[in-house]
Amino acid sequence: MASMQLAQDPYNIIITGVGGQGNVMASRVLANMLVKRGFNVTIGETFGASQRGGSVMSHLRVSATSSWSPQIPRGRVDVVIALEPTEGIRVLKGYGNPRAKILSNTRAIRPVGVIAGEQDYPSMEKIRGSVRELASSAWFIDATDEAVKLGSPILGNIIMIGALSGLGVLPLEREDFKEAILRSIPRDKLDINLKAYDIGRQIIKQNEDSTGN
Amino acid sequence: MSYLTDTTEGAQYLLMGNEAIARGALEAGAKVVCGYPGTPSSDIIESLAKIAKDMNIYVEWSTNEKVAMEVAAAGSFAGVRSMCVMKQNGVNVASDFLLHLAGSGTRAGMVLVSCDDPGALSSANEGESRFFARLVEIPLLEPGDFQEAKDMIKWAFELSEEIRNLVMVRSVTRMSHASGNVKFGKLPPVDVHPVFKCDGFILDPMEGAVMSLPVRYKHAQQQEKIKKARAIFEDCPFNTYHGPEKPELLIITSSACNLYSREAIGILGVEDRVGLLKLGTTWPLPPELLKRHLSRTDKILIVEEVLPFLEENVKILAAEMAREIGIKTFYGKNDGKIPMVGELNPDLVVGALAQIVGIDYKPVPDEYAEKAEGVASSRAPARELTFCPGCPHRASFWSIHNALQLDGRKGFVCGDIGCYGMATLPCGFSTLKTLHAMGSGGGIASGFGKLGRLGFDQPVLAVCGDSTFFHAAIPALINAVHHNSDFTLAVLDNSGTAMTGFQPHPGLKVNAMGEEVTSVDIAEICRALGARVEIRDPFDLEETQKTLNELIEDKAGLKVLILRQICVLSPEKKAGKKYDMTIDDEICLGENCGCNKVCTRIFRCPGLIWDKEKMVTRVDDVICTGCGVCADICPEGAIKRKEVA
Amino acid sequence: MKVFGANELLEDVLEKNLCIGCGACTYLCPYFRAYKGRTAILFPCDLTQGRCWAYCPKVEVDLDDLSERFFGRPYEADPLGFHRSVKISKAGRQVSGGTFQAGGTVSALMSFALNKGYTRAAVLTDREGLLPVPRLALSPDDILQCSSSKYTASPTLSALNQAISEGHDQIGVVGTPCQVLAIAQMRSNPMGDKDFSDPVSLVVGLFCTWAVDFREFEAFISERIDVSKITKVDIPPPPAEIMEVYTDNGKMEIALDEIRKLVPDTCSYCVDMTAEFSDISVGVLEGRPDMNTIITRTERGEKIVDEAQKEGFLILDDIGKENLEHLIWAADNKKKRAFLKAQQEDMVNTKEEGARCYLRVRPQTVEEITA
Repeated sequence: MASMQLAQDPYNIIITGVGGQGNVMASRVLANMLVKRGFNVTIGETFGASQRGGSVMSHLRVSATSSWSPQIPRGRVDVVIALEPTEGIRVLKGYGNPRAKILSNTRAIRPVGVIAGEQDYPSMEKIRGSVRELASSAWFIDATDEAVKLGSPILGNIIMIGALSGLGVLPLEREDFKEAILRSIPRDKLDINLKAYDIGRQIIKQNEDSTGN
Repeated sequence: MSYLTDTTEGAQYLLMGNEAIARGALEAGAKVVCGYPGTPSSDIIESLAKIAKDMNIYVEWSTNEKVAMEVAAAGSFAGVRSMCVMKQNGVNVASDFLLHLAGSGTRAGMVLVSCDDPGALSSANEGESRFFARLVEIPLLEPGDFQEAKDMIKWAFELSEEIRNLVMVRSVTRMSHASGNVKFGKLPPVDVHPVFKCDGFILDPMEGAVMSLPVRYKHAQQQEKIKKARAIFEDCPFNTYHGPEKPELLIITSSACNLYSREAIGILGVEDRVGLLKLGTTWPLPPELLKRHLSRTDKILIVEEVLPFLEENVKILAAEMAREIGIKTFYGKNDGKIPMVGELNPDLVVGALAQIVGIDYKPVPDEYAEKAEGVASSRAPARELTFCPGCPHRASFWSIHNALQLDGRKGFVCGDIGCYGMATLPCGFSTLKTLHAMGSGGGIASGFGKLGRLGFDQPVLAVCGDSTFFHAAIPALINAVHHNSDFTLAVLDNSGTAMTGFQPHPGLKVNAMGEEVTSVDIAEICRALGARVEIRDPFDLEETQKTLNELIEDKAGLKVLILRQICVLSPEKKAGKKYDMTIDDEICLGENCGCNKVCTRIFRCPGLIWDKEKMVTRVDDVICTGCGVCADICPEGAIKRKEVA
Repeated sequence: MKVFGANELLEDVLEKNLCIGCGACTYLCPYFRAYKGRTAILFPCDLTQGRCWAYCPKVEVDLDDLSERFFGRPYEADPLGFHRSVKISKAGRQVSGGTFQAGGTVSALMSFALNKGYTRAAVLTDREGLLPVPRLALSPDDILQCSSSKYTASPTLSALNQAISEGHDQIGVVGTPCQVLAIAQMRSNPMGDKDFSDPVSLVVGLFCTWAVDFREFEAFISERIDVSKITKVDIPPPPAEIMEVYTDNGKMEIALDEIRKLVPDTCSYCVDMTAEFSDISVGVLEGRPDMNTIITRTERGEKIVDEAQKEGFLILDDIGKENLEHLIWAADNKKKRAFLKAQQEDMVNTKEEGARCYLRVRPQTVEEITA
């Protein structure tokens, strides 16, 4: 039996970023935490070609009742977790709606067109502006910076999971995180992952304006 | 121990469709599983390979899909349940054997799992494998959700043994690579003693010779088997109906489209107007079942990917039963409601459904839609595909492209399948000028290489990867040597099957299960064929390009240049950087005459960034993998490489 | 000079088959390269102005500008170009070793210049089989290695560009008229570089009526002889109408008319037989296979020739009226023919706004030449 009433059923999450940022691992960990709590989770994502520098998305449907389409319909995302800020905008343009929330990393990964000097990468100000236009609440998290402080930039995705747990929209417990992450990492990396999770959660909890800035 | 081997009956796990299929094979007691890497199918073999020792199963990455099917067939003939796995065009490769196997029949259960890629998310085609089932006359099953992906495999093995022929299970990317909750069944204790009984009467299906001859006799038998399957399908638990007794509209669907259709009905709130018939058995169609459901209403919408396979088969039945069920109005691909190209999603089904039932649906309020439209696409700049930083292909194509430009006779390169297939794009300097199937690069090149006698004068090159070489390139090379065709083949040897996840192939000393095996040497094969063979390191740009020009100018038939450098995703490379790269701002010419940003504008490695403020290039330390090649393309020597201690 | 970029160079020269493969545009950047006698562009460059265009002797050459700069007067109709003297010459006793062609004057001048410090390096053309190879010579031995005539177009200026980018200066260059023209453009600082200083201290030009395309020449010769066995190639002075190809086994003669078929179209637009923008020009002497004709043009050229004679590196003599007349007649022929052809094809002084052309020179001079 599902242990918490969901605000929507299915509750839709999109984790987005650039190939190589660990969105697949994040979606697995998150999903396993929720399956433990009795939910049905459907994940839709693609691998392969999109990893070579392309945009990637994982769609998660959290439901008390059944499996759903692995692709979220337009206009139906509830929370966007953007490991890369412009990918967050891309997702909101396609799947956003007036009540969508977004947790966005602040670290840019420039597309090849930008680093070749042919396209412009939008300023953080412009990004924040567009995000706020399309989301009901937005949190900007320096996940990569915090992860670098911990000694490993790839931990950015774990910090974002911690942040999601801090939002309180889903029953995400630390114990469940511990169990889920151990499926993907060796035991000696557990501590640093827990630290990352805690940091993410703290960032949201500490934020006085908990409806998102 | 992997969670896939959990013996707890009823345990619930979040599984990828492919993992569910793998678990299904375990629950069915399959003992031989083989395939060739192909997205979206590869994870099935990978997950089983990890537990092969523990579960005492034989898992093999075969040289190509035809061989994989033949290896699996051997298992079946010897009385052991066997499965072969491939992506949609793998079935094309195996099809000649498939045709004959369907004619000869099988013994222990055999299942062919085909994972199609509608929308070509990781393919150079969106071909349909379903038609093969109808063409070679074997049963076809399509799981409609993750639980079915597991349950159907066991059922398929039982069906296969019931009719003594192989059964095809077809998945798609959005099922294979998607994940959902799956409840485990029992893991049976399996005691196997493979024996190939063949001394009996020649036509005895279990003790005679296994062959498709005599053809008319065996073909007639095949059709009896199909009839038997059809009868079994009338009561199959994977054919389900949800909806009112007499709906306004009946949706008939299969596979992942089941999930889209179910959701579409929910989104439009037409659960009381629209019925959903989900078919798990899509060839042959059970006529009585279809009759029952087709009788419910006059309007039928058929939702499937990619071609109207189900649609046309349903229409044939409907025509045959017209007197009993009445005239129907069909919606689907042929009337344009459902696109014939690309993959489907809930929105496309909503669009078709809304049109038919007359609902005006807006995914978001107009105001929001305008806002979203208003956010410039420049806020989310497009991401072009590129080779990984440190990829040897970038260096190889730099040299190949330049050698051809220097040669100046309008030479070109025939491409093949793998990461290097991306060299049709700027990341590979748009070098590839043809791109088709596995091994086609060499085949087409061997054709161009014979046109000299008709006056053709352009130098011909082809590229193929190490895995592709073994899969399909060899027959074309033999053709080239035998017919004295004049072309140069560059084998891009990065020691693995990289595009699909770096699986091993016959050139390596290790197999899918991590055991030590015999490696086959590409250079030796080419020399044995009689080709001129050279081996170079693609990271040595000067030497590689010089050798290429030499080979292109050598008129003597087939020349093979093996460019050997390990893939940057391989475990060895991931372990550490070879060089630390830095840029001397003082020397960097940037946009000025004498350089004009050759490193960022042309070479385009993601590890190099153009700094618009300082007007120089800098290295992105997080992304750069330290291969050192860029230091050799800078005309001023501004890019410095230092060996990491 | 109107300066454009690589795209225009592609359009106006490479795609119109005007390129002679002089090498002036190569090795300035990663994009233009010479390979087996042809010029290739490796990747597109989108700069609107570049040195590749500025140096190229086949586009937007302002003959009056160049003449003012080097000779203090606009371009005139003189068939031999501006000159101070015309004599005949040959290498003197002080020049040792080397297998000279004709009188050995070029080798003598270059050895002398390097010896005396008038140059610190020399850009010459060596040979590997039939393939001409640009070379940077730093010693007299290096120079003598390059002493033999080559009849195929050579990208010699690629070595000059590389030498300059490596920091060499006081460079001496031996080149054909098209190469000498390119060097003149380069020395005129067409890009307006504030820190420009002329790195070339001596230009020796070679007389040239045409050159053959390397690839066609190699294909033609290899049908008749094993290219690896060739020791020397020579076209003796008129009235001989042959090319001589030497191997260890002897000499093969080929009718010059056969060779002329291998001359690229672009040579028919060349108005300069005697390398008019050099310091010193050297060529054959009709009827005298052991001598050269030598034309001195500039002050520094004159100085070097005089000193070389004084110190025994060079032997000079009077050219004589008949030889001089023949020389003038030959040079005039080439100039007139080329100017007429170029003018007919609207390649001279093109009037349209923004149009790019081959030559710019005072209309009255063109009239005089083509009369």
